[in-house]
Amino acid sequence: MTKTDHYYHQSVVYGVCTLLFLPILATFLYSISSSWGATILPDGLSFKWYLQLWQDVRFIEAFGRSLLISSSALLLCAVLILPVMFVLFYYFPKLQKVFNFLILLPFAVPPVVSSVGLLQLYADSSLPIVGTPWILIGTYFTIAVPFMYRAIANSFSALNLHDLIDSAHLLGATTTQAFFMIVLPNLKKGLLAALFLSFSFLLGEFVFANMLVGTRYETLQIYLYNMRQTSGHFTSALVISYFAFIFLFTWLASRLSRGINS
Amino acid sequence: MNSIVLPDTAQIKTARFAKLTTGSLSRFKPLWLLLPFLLLFFLFQIAPMIWIIINSFVVEQQASLENYHTVFNSAFILQSFSNSLWLAFTSSSVSLVLALFFVASLRKVDSALRDAVVAFTNMTANFSGVPLAFAFIILLGFNGALTLLLKEAGLIDDFNLYGQWGLLALYIYFQIPLATLLLYPAFDALHEDWQAASDLLGANRWQFWTKIALPVLSPALLGTFIILIANAIGAYASVYALTSGNYNVVTVRIASLVSGDIFLEPNLAAAISVLLMVILGLITFINQRLIRRSYHDKN
Amino acid sequence: MSFVTVKQLLKRFGEQTVFEQINFTIQQGEFITLLGPSGCGKSTLLRSLAGLYPLDSGEVWLDNKNITSLKPQQRDIGMVFQSYALFPNLTVQENIAFGLKMKKLPSSKIQRQVAEIIELVELGGKERAYPQQLSGGQKQRVALARALVVKPQLLLLDEPLSALDAPIRKNLRQQIKSIQKELNLTTLFVTHDQEEAMTLSDRIFLMNKGKIVQQGSAEHIYTQPGNEFVAGFMGNYNLLSAPQASQLLGLTIQGKLAIRPESIYVRERGREYAAHISNPTAAIIKSHQLLGNIIRYQVQAKGCDIAVDLLNRSSERLLQPGSALELLFNLNELQQVS
Repeated sequence: MTKTDHYYHQSVVYGVCTLLFLPILATFLYSISSSWGATILPDGLSFKWYLQLWQDVRFIEAFGRSLLISSSALLLCAVLILPVMFVLFYYFPKLQKVFNFLILLPFAVPPVVSSVGLLQLYADSSLPIVGTPWILIGTYFTIAVPFMYRAIANSFSALNLHDLIDSAHLLGATTTQAFFMIVLPNLKKGLLAALFLSFSFLLGEFVFANMLVGTRYETLQIYLYNMRQTSGHFTSALVISYFAFIFLFTWLASRLSRGINS
Repeated sequence: MNSIVLPDTAQIKTARFAKLTTGSLSRFKPLWLLLPFLLLFFLFQIAPMIWIIINSFVVEQQASLENYHTVFNSAFILQSFSNSLWLAFTSSSVSLVLALFFVASLRKVDSALRDAVVAFTNMTANFSGVPLAFAFIILLGFNGALTLLLKEAGLIDDFNLYGQWGLLALYIYFQIPLATLLLYPAFDALHEDWQAASDLLGANRWQFWTKIALPVLSPALLGTFIILIANAIGAYASVYALTSGNYNVVTVRIASLVSGDIFLEPNLAAAISVLLMVILGLITFINQRLIRRSYHDKN
Repeated sequence: MSFVTVKQLLKRFGEQTVFEQINFTIQQGEFITLLGPSGCGKSTLLRSLAGLYPLDSGEVWLDNKNITSLKPQQRDIGMVFQSYALFPNLTVQENIAFGLKMKKLPSSKIQRQVAEIIELVELGGKERAYPQQLSGGQKQRVALARALVVKPQLLLLDEPLSALDAPIRKNLRQQIKSIQKELNLTTLFVTHDQEEAMTLSDRIFLMNKGKIVQQGSAEHIYTQPGNEFVAGFMGNYNLLSAPQASQLLGLTIQGKLAIRPESIYVRERGREYAAHISNPTAAIIKSHQLLGNIIRYQVQAKGCDIAVDLLNRSSERLLQPGSALELLFNLNELQQVS
């Protein structure tokens, strides 16, 4: 590759990265500026917005709620989906086709659309979970399913599943024992990477939260939206704090998945 | 007794088959494990879908096509479809092209930079919805830093973030990381030696890309394009947060009919939803066919 | 000036030197093999000649033209890759025609030339097939045809046969050689397989750790290895230190000695041996390996373990482990190595 080629490729990469970084930078500057009027640069710098944010009980509670339902939904998803995938890959491989179709449904049905049905079905009927965290856990579960399925399916394909279980059988283990002692540990990395990725995604979820529970169970994103009329500096500090968490989790996810590929 | 000796693989297969058929009903026992998952999935994904499809054909407790008539006769609703589709197609095309150049260059820079940028792209892919809308207001709102900068440079008079073009900028922003992450593995299909062979046979860069690289990548490009469109059509949070629900796209239209202050019409919302699902379903179906085609090419 | 001249080529990659002090000439129509172990720099050198990698210093001359700073498109060099590098979206016909299309030849001419070359590589009937539908050997012949049809001045082959099964490799090897001879095409062939190098080449350039350690005909390099590396690489030489060699032969030897297993003889009773044959040395058979037409005996003589190769003439004459024999050495075929 010639020198000009090299410079070209680097400038394209840096250029697009700068483009992507601009909104983040702007928000960060806004969050550390004491005030910023109709000028290109802020008037002064200060960390007071972060202090204000992290001392706001309402924020802590909203953040806590988001963490709680996201982790609950993911835990539920992991516990339910692992046996399913084992069954699909060990006993009934033909069913994989069916499931490949099923997990496409969350893509063909955006959250707004699902909410139409969910509101009618679960508002005042026999299962009145609208407005409670339960409906969020249920819907977040469906959001996480495609991510988890894909990641775990990839991990399964990388294993020589039948040979592993056959060896375990020959050594005296039951299938259940083999599943817990051999299969699960081998899925760990892929599973964790998918969990971190899904977690980031769920923390940013707004649609279901807004339409199905609103302020009755205020999650982080609802709180953020409700704060839009207050100081822009405050909301920027909020956005940056949220983004720092996302940063951490996606970084962890990529560290884990790199471990798989090495 | 057994004078026939089976070759090894056949022996293994018959052994496994025997294991699975001893006690013919017990073979189906593992299927119970699917139940909890399927139940939950049904309750929260499938049941709403069924309600929507059925009730789109219901008006005042009676079967009717009136909802669909309303949809096709309402300029307002039709405008929401055209706005959504315009935003989807335009943002997907622009971000696809940008991502194409981005990934092509990304694969040629040194690995330290490349890994850092891939991690960064992963993180920005999560930057969407309400937080992104706020960030764009700061950057491109009436008093936004970039707006003021561009005004000072004389490039624009004013920039309406809350209209068509502002939204387009927003959509392009959140589509780029997705497009990049989808295209990145697709470039594995391009062997390094093809470029070398094509160079030695006299082709310049442009000819290499138009005659060899892009044709080979085309299933992946099309598949990515389609996912981008589906992603854009379904977007709600960013639009809603940016325009407070005032810009007319399909998702906002649907939401306004089932929540909010005005008169609620869930069945009409259902009809619009069905149409949206049909569009998205078609898109997903095409994508699956394309993925299968690229598998066949490889084999 | 020779057809191809290469002067003082140097290439670095960061701190590491990939190859240096590369100097050689090639006459028109010669078949040269660049031979060496993995990682010696031969592939990188080949690609640098093609213009695919830049050189840090040195000059490359082809047919009296300095091509050092020319782009690959302008060098008039053809190349066949180990991975075939066939364009998967084009048929066999279109792959082969690619270079001719780049030259903007009229399509009737292109059709004719492609048909001729397809006949030459014996791929008739496969014109409309896609690369994915072909076997390894067929793919390589398409790659060869594609490189040849543009009539390059120099043909480079980067381990083209390494990915193929043994019988196909042998077949294709002969086909490449006969086409090369027929077209009188100057060829530079890279391989790590010393047997391949010896069967195909007019001359061999042996590389190790980025330098050319010996150049010459196959016969020359094989029988007169310049140093320990060459001796170890080119055959199954027995390498002996000076004291070992002296003890074994009963003579005073200075410096290391390399002895080919096939140039050691077993003494037969009642035969007269010429003056250049040494005095007999007592030895005992330790084991043997049947290599097909040769039996390789591991023998211990005067405290040294050496290999002795004998032609496998008849199974009755197989010498058993433990049996005693006498070895004779051809003093003209002992090779001093540095």
